Amino acid sequence: MDNKVKFNTKNLDLFYGDFQALKSINMEICENEVTAFIGPSGCGKSTFLRCLNRMNDLIDCVDIKGEIIFDGKDINGDIDVINLRTRVGMVFQKPNPFPMSIYDNIAYGPKCQGLKDKAKLDTIVKDSLERAALWDEVKDRLNKSALGLSGGQQQRLCIARTIAMNPEVILMDEPTSALDPIATLKIEDLMQSLKKLYTIIIVTHSMQQAGRISDKTAFFLMGEVIEFNETPKIFTNPDDKRTEDYITGRFG
Amino acid sequence: MTQKIKDTIVKGVVYLATGITLCVLLFIIGFIFIKGIGLINWNFISRDYNDTTFYAFVQESNSPTTLDEKVQENKSDYDKKYETPLEAPVYVESIGAEITKVLYKNYTTEKEQFIISYISKGSPLLSAVNSNGTSIDVSTDFVLESVNGNEFTGMSTEEVKTLINDQSGELKIKMVEPGGGIRSNIITTLYMILLSLVVALPIGIFGAIYLTEYAKPGKIVNAIRFAAECLAGIPSIIFGLFGMAFFVVALNFQISLLSGSLTVAIILLPVIIRSTEEALKTVPIAFREGSLALGATKLQTIFKIILPCAVPGIATAVLLSIGRVIGESAALLLTAGTVAQIPGTLFSPGSTLTVQAYYVTKEEGNIEMACAIGIVIIVIVIILNILSRIASDKLNVFNKE
Amino acid sequence: MEAIKRKKIKEKIIENFFLICAFVAVVSVLAITFFVFYNGLKPFVSNSYPFWNFISGVEWRPGSNMYGIFYMIVGSIFGTLGAILLGVPIAILTAVYIAEMADSRIGKIIRFAVELLAGIPSVLYGVFGLGIIVPYVLKISPMAQGESLLATILVLAIMILPTVVSISETSISAVPKEYREGSYALGASKIQTIFKVVLPAARSGVMTGVILGIGRAIGETMAVMLVCGNPIAGIPTSLFDQIRPLTTNIALEMGYASGVHQELLYSTGVVLFVFIMIINLAVNKLVKTKVGS
Repeated sequence: MDNKVKFNTKNLDLFYGDFQALKSINMEICENEVTAFIGPSGCGKSTFLRCLNRMNDLIDCVDIKGEIIFDGKDINGDIDVINLRTRVGMVFQKPNPFPMSIYDNIAYGPKCQGLKDKAKLDTIVKDSLERAALWDEVKDRLNKSALGLSGGQQQRLCIARTIAMNPEVILMDEPTSALDPIATLKIEDLMQSLKKLYTIIIVTHSMQQAGRISDKTAFFLMGEVIEFNETPKIFTNPDDKRTEDYITGRFG
Repeated sequence: MTQKIKDTIVKGVVYLATGITLCVLLFIIGFIFIKGIGLINWNFISRDYNDTTFYAFVQESNSPTTLDEKVQENKSDYDKKYETPLEAPVYVESIGAEITKVLYKNYTTEKEQFIISYISKGSPLLSAVNSNGTSIDVSTDFVLESVNGNEFTGMSTEEVKTLINDQSGELKIKMVEPGGGIRSNIITTLYMILLSLVVALPIGIFGAIYLTEYAKPGKIVNAIRFAAECLAGIPSIIFGLFGMAFFVVALNFQISLLSGSLTVAIILLPVIIRSTEEALKTVPIAFREGSLALGATKLQTIFKIILPCAVPGIATAVLLSIGRVIGESAALLLTAGTVAQIPGTLFSPGSTLTVQAYYVTKEEGNIEMACAIGIVIIVIVIILNILSRIASDKLNVFNKE
Repeated sequence: MEAIKRKKIKEKIIENFFLICAFVAVVSVLAITFFVFYNGLKPFVSNSYPFWNFISGVEWRPGSNMYGIFYMIVGSIFGTLGAILLGVPIAILTAVYIAEMADSRIGKIIRFAVELLAGIPSVLYGVFGLGIIVPYVLKISPMAQGESLLATILVLAIMILPTVVSISETSISAVPKEYREGSYALGASKIQTIFKVVLPAARSGVMTGVILGIGRAIGETMAVMLVCGNPIAGIPTSLFDQIRPLTTNIALEMGYASGVHQELLYSTGVVLFVFIMIINLAVNKLVKTKVGS
């Protein structure tokens, strides 16, 4: 059974000045699945991820061609970026909680959207932390600084912060690369439980991680998508020789 | 071997140079403290620079008829800095105070005068009022000049006592509140700091926000940066000339607190822009990304995340600015004047501490007073230095992670 | 959609407001240049005083309508030059000590001292000059007064110390460790390494410090005013001669001058301004070449 298509990119090219970082990407990403992007460093997988909620806007001299259709609309066209980002949340490589209390970190997004009702905020904070499996660990110190949490807790806080916006899609840019194995495992478990509610797209350096958690996997190389398919197929019987070489560790 | 000797000699020269730098500092600070410390006391801080003459209306009374011997021994010293007693103090019953004839001598004048050397507890002087009926604080060291129109000039202390005791009813005493202090300069300096910061701080901070958060490299940014550098390089006397031509003359603000503070505000701009920019740059990009990815607008990101993180840096900017205003003299000389008074309105002149230090040195040759002002300034500068160190340590928190 | 548009417009308005704030700096520079030049060039344009007499004259007697500033230009240059010759070597060597030779605690103390020196208002340097330097100069001087070129040079040399020390120190500390290690590996001593490798590598930063020091010396007013003597005429020929730099000429008489006299004080400002602009441009160029390399 195929899920509904959430993102559909058509001939997406991206240039950093003269350098072409993405070459004609065509991809359909489906709802309520975990899609993983793998590939060697500098292959464009993070760049592509950042296209999906237009975080590349922050970088000067980026030029994007082609279409990214999100729920029927091209997000590079005339859309409200702020609205897009509330619907497509993002978790970064390094945990980046703001230097404020745990509570304020979660409440930040809703507050920015104009939510002031204290009771509603309380509910959102509790729900988000619960869904991010962090509530039990932090419920007694919601007003303490978020910088006092461990790395793994900080990253789950960042996930909770994203969930608080009630997004449709969560983008994760190597969310576990700065964490130890136990914290990584917790985040991976979390992703499995979150995928029922959200569409998750994850960039990862670890092929094992992609194999463990994702439904579909895309292999990037030199700005191109070499292969995009069901994860088991990619890892057991890839169509392309280069994918096989990468998976088996012959380069990368 | 020769190389070693050479190295030792060069090393010696380096030590010598460092020694000279340190000695110069110690020498300057030492000079200022030794010269000025004699003047530093509460009167110096709390008095105005100029003498103030006024009439005090005192209800004559006979309450404490004689002065308690014990009190006489314990009474506080009067201002010995400039005054030498000429005759023994005499107690005047009708005003409940002791007066002394002294020789007053400072850099510009030398004269004989009668001062109040002690005021007893029940003295009617304590409930004295001025011609408007408002009460005035009469204290020791005030100079008595006349009573009910009878001048004291040339009299002996006993004669003055008799003269005062002979009057009846309400006494109209002409008094002089001695000056020589820097209260008005301190207050003018505070006004100047406050006003110039009110103008320069928002402009500087918002300008820095534009440069770090919005500006794309190009001609506009280059122009702004070049202008800020130029402003930092222009000597303060040129700012003074500009302030005089623009604020004082063209806008007709006169030589005033307003002209002075607006001129100083321009001087502060590059300082504030630069340190705010540095502070904004230390805020990690990850915070900006995190905030934007949550659907916050750029403005929300700036005001809720970036600015709060940059607060210690902005505090440094404020401290640097305060130091700059306190140190500023040439520009203020031309735009705010040298009148040692508390400016009553934005359009009245007033001299800050440094301008006053210049004025007393240049016009009166009173190096002692300049040094005493110098002590006050240096103490403030040291405090500001320490505070800004604390602030910049706070800012470095992000970088250590 | 309407709300989104309004939000966007609000953001745009505020962005432009920030731009305007940033532009205040540019406007200020333009306004300063305009007002000083406008007032300063007036007497020459309207021919109320000939430019040549102004720039080449060696007497400033407002009473008898003589306004020559050549001797002031010479005084300013001599004072600045002397201060640089005396102060810069001391400052650079101090910077070398702090950056390369001092252990961190002593370095911290000296750095604090230098910062403090930078924080002392210029008037106090003048008071110090008048109270200590001028009397000492008088003792060795053949003249009847201690206010002199020499006293000015000494005060200015002290005043440029903190600027040159702190900027040189920063650029010396910024020299990569590899340079030093490379030099040591070739058998050079510490002193040789510092003076033959580290200092040359930090050259452009040190130069920037020196030029900023020149700027400070030439623009200094209040301290100099108390120790230079401010004569009404005469090119200085010895260290004990009094001088009247451009800056003090303005500060001394601006308070009461009027008419052509006042305008010519602005003209003095224009000359000073031109000097400073040349120095600013030099700094700008140096900083750029540093970035380029």
